[in-house]
Amino acid sequence: MNPTQGGWLILVTLAFAMVLAIVHLPETWPQWLGWLRPEWVSLVVFFWVMELPHRLGLISAWVVGLVVDVLYADPLGLNGALLAAITFIAWRFYERLRMYSVFQQCGVVFALILGSEAVRMFVRDLASDRGWSWAILLPALVSMLVWPFVYMVLQRFRVQFRVE
Amino acid sequence: MTGLVLVSVILISLELTTRLLGPVRSAIGTVVSPVQYVAETPYLLGGEVGEVVATRSLLLDQNKELERKVLELSKISMQYLNLLKENENLRELLGSQARLPDEVLIAELIGVVPAVNAHQVVIDKGADSGIVLGQAVIDSEGLFGQVAEVDRFTSRVLLITDKDHAVPVQINRNGVRSIAGGTGRIDRLELEYVPITADIVKGDLVETSGLGGRFPQGYPVGYVDTVVVDPTASFAEVSIRPTALLDRSRHVLVVFARAGEES
Repeated sequence: MNPTQGGWLILVTLAFAMVLAIVHLPETWPQWLGWLRPEWVSLVVFFWVMELPHRLGLISAWVVGLVVDVLYADPLGLNGALLAAITFIAWRFYERLRMYSVFQQCGVVFALILGSEAVRMFVRDLASDRGWSWAILLPALVSMLVWPFVYMVLQRFRVQFRVE
Repeated sequence: MTGLVLVSVILISLELTTRLLGPVRSAIGTVVSPVQYVAETPYLLGGEVGEVVATRSLLLDQNKELERKVLELSKISMQYLNLLKENENLRELLGSQARLPDEVLIAELIGVVPAVNAHQVVIDKGADSGIVLGQAVIDSEGLFGQVAEVDRFTSRVLLITDKDHAVPVQINRNGVRSIAGGTGRIDRLELEYVPITADIVKGDLVETSGLGGRFPQGYPVGYVDTVVVDPTASFAEVSIRPTALLDRSRHVLVVFARAGEES
């Protein structure tokens, strides 16, 4: 990451995504709302790599993943590998992805998040007794639904602060 | 890419099998604790707003409830001193070691681990306050969980209802010993490997037995909810409703068992 031109924006959006990822909702709100949690960090990383493939590399994505591991209480290295994989795919196909309509991108997001959730659940299953469940579909579906908004907001910020 | 995945796989297998990476986790956890504090603000603000806009009748109700509780508790505490003395004397007669009261540290919840079926929370006291791995955590009503990870300023607590958690218990009425395992549901624990002839009935109080040395003895865990005895099965199915307010408590107590306590 080159911090000279708007690198701070990338860092700020990543930090904000982490806060959203573990935010604790007020007691009076319904509890199921907490389950419909998009994979904010993955979405933000995906966006930045797709738009600026030269700014966010595999190593930095992996390091971001280490932090996410601690926040999610996952085994260290798990989210690093997942984010690096997302980065790799976004970096490999960024020209094609940018030409897609936002709805096609939603499909890609669904596939990516579902894949990473499957790996996450597999590793959690190794680590603990919790096992597989249909909950695996929730993050993928919700992430897909919020993607257009995430894309719009981040794109606006990117243009406004001229992050190239 | 392959290199990174390899490093990850090595790290994950280290994490699954050993505790070698504990210090690394703690270091990262210390660095990102601001994120955890920020993520907690909506919840705290929600509480504040609730307090500010509480209606008069609600406050009166609360007040009445608290007064009733104070009366009840003061009645119990009057008897307590007497019983304590008597207990000490009896223990002296038996020649066993005197049991010292446990010291506690009040901690506040500052976050939850956001996986759907993980029952874990983050509290605002860490290694700086003297917390160590494996300490028991209680709330005002009963056993809450145990410390599963210690960072500098925060620690992670595994609740007793998490599927990975189990605690050695006994029935308060007759001392039948068992193990209460979490089920992944916030309102249910299960006694494991209970013989179908065991004397356990609905309504029995289940408390920690202190065996295993991790949890201090005598804290309430829950009440027996249902007992299903199927003569053809090897074990009875006993489910327990935890007494601790696992999804509501905001303040918890971390127990420092004194040295010299029997375990």
